[in-house]
Amino acid sequence: MPLRRTLVAALTAACLFPPLAGAAETAKLTVTGASTLAPLVSEIAHRFENANPGVRIDVQTGGSSRGVADVRRGIADIGMVSRVLKPDEDDLTVNIVARDGVGMIVNTANPVDPLSRDQVIGIYTGRITNWSQIGGPDRPITVVNKAEGRSTLDIFLEHVQLKPTDVKAHIVIGDNEQGVKVVAGNPWAIGYVSIGTAEYHAQAGTPVRLMALGPVVATTGNVANGTYGAARPLNLVTAKPPEGVAARFIAYSQSPAVHDLIHDQYFVPAPR
Amino acid sequence: MSIDALRRRRTARVVDAAVWGVPAITVAALAWLLADVVWHGAGQIDLAFLTTAPRSAGRAGGIAPMLVSTAIVVAIAVAVALPLAVGTAVLLVEVLPPSASAGRWIRRSLDILAGMPSIVFGLFGNLVFCTMLGMGFSLLSGGLTLACMVLPILMRAAEESLRGVPDGCRRGALALGMPRHRAITAVILPCGMPGIIDGLTLGVGRAMAETAALVFTSGYVDRMPSALTDSGRTLAVHVFDLSMNVTGGDRWAYATALVLIGLLLVTAGLLSLASRFLQRKGAHKP
Repeated sequence: MPLRRTLVAALTAACLFPPLAGAAETAKLTVTGASTLAPLVSEIAHRFENANPGVRIDVQTGGSSRGVADVRRGIADIGMVSRVLKPDEDDLTVNIVARDGVGMIVNTANPVDPLSRDQVIGIYTGRITNWSQIGGPDRPITVVNKAEGRSTLDIFLEHVQLKPTDVKAHIVIGDNEQGVKVVAGNPWAIGYVSIGTAEYHAQAGTPVRLMALGPVVATTGNVANGTYGAARPLNLVTAKPPEGVAARFIAYSQSPAVHDLIHDQYFVPAPR
Repeated sequence: MSIDALRRRRTARVVDAAVWGVPAITVAALAWLLADVVWHGAGQIDLAFLTTAPRSAGRAGGIAPMLVSTAIVVAIAVAVALPLAVGTAVLLVEVLPPSASAGRWIRRSLDILAGMPSIVFGLFGNLVFCTMLGMGFSLLSGGLTLACMVLPILMRAAEESLRGVPDGCRRGALALGMPRHRAITAVILPCGMPGIIDGLTLGVGRAMAETAALVFTSGYVDRMPSALTDSGRTLAVHVFDLSMNVTGGDRWAYATALVLIGLLLVTAGLLSLASRFLQRKGAHKP
């Protein structure tokens, strides 16, 4: 059967020379899932498209669970999942792209250090209302919380095991930048932000100090190596081990070529 | 002056204050909202913002693809929903007798449709247009979903408006020997046009500002669309994404929101001009 033989030969050649096969390809990938990851993956996709003419990557949102469901049903090639995969999701292939960690921030004028997990819970539930109760000066605590729907709120609540309704906040803010601004402008405020944002500002001279949420020191390094507890992985998942363009896109997302994009979203690149 | 008269005068003053105070609060709420958006957003807006694609997840570059996507999605919605709405209104007002049970059923179902949360339209559109009809995440899916959503608004406005057309107009048209369909197209619809256009303004406003119904239908892709089958992010979805998912995106969210509000005002203005023009044209008709 010459036709079949030709086909086999062509396929073998394609497998042997993936760069050649890739050079002429036109492909469309659909990526769906976590809205936390969507802006980052969109930016990575734009850069990948520029480097690979003919490839088109459509990024859609809808939440981590949707990413998992769409990949399983074959609607999406790649799913975005911004949490640890559940035990019943072990049929999927997981590729970590980045991590997102949350640390507490206080003003540099505030001498209280460190804070235990119980003290943080006390402050956020209204049991501790004055810094003097935990070894600081006699000043009332201004509690800064994140607005509903923020991913950092989810990580924080999960780590301190509180429900959204348990939190007694004085100020509710939107993004990390706003959190840094509030705490920088109020010596007796406490808040929590992405560790990437806090480190950037601490180095840039903004009067904020980053404190750990848990026993491990809050650094982007500890978030990256997975030892810091109040963090979560940002994953790209596929139904089967990825092949072709999908595999190349995932590998690209994990490569140093996109680390600047990951930093731009205040996440931490994860070592492969 | 008697105590009674004094008391009456005081009551009158309180009522006066209430009568002026309540609308003042309404206007103040709008002014506050506009001032907030202008204050935070105006600084980012320039020509480049309106004519380039976004970079860095919307924190640089512009919103050109979103402007185009929004225009296309809203145009599809209006093109599909308006004929259906006006047709249904003509059926209800001009054809069916007022007591017809079919009319009641149509009205009832449209009222239920009008009260539906928009996320339900989003899930419905995703299931029906994207998945069952195979359109995928596309401007077409988004536009059709919005059409379902604004249909009750347009229909109700058209119906009220046609009902408001004086019976004299109908009788006059028929007395001149016009056939029924000619009376509807030449006399009744032009008379009802201002009301229909008011409804259109409301519907377009709702469509432009929609996020929940569009995230799952026209989607999130921030590329310039090149076909109706492409996914495209609308302005409202972009605002939502910038304010909820992008760190440092707040200023850009405000800027985009300001453009969206400006677009709404311009559309409302144009539609009101069109309404006035049509009325004048209608008046000159023999």
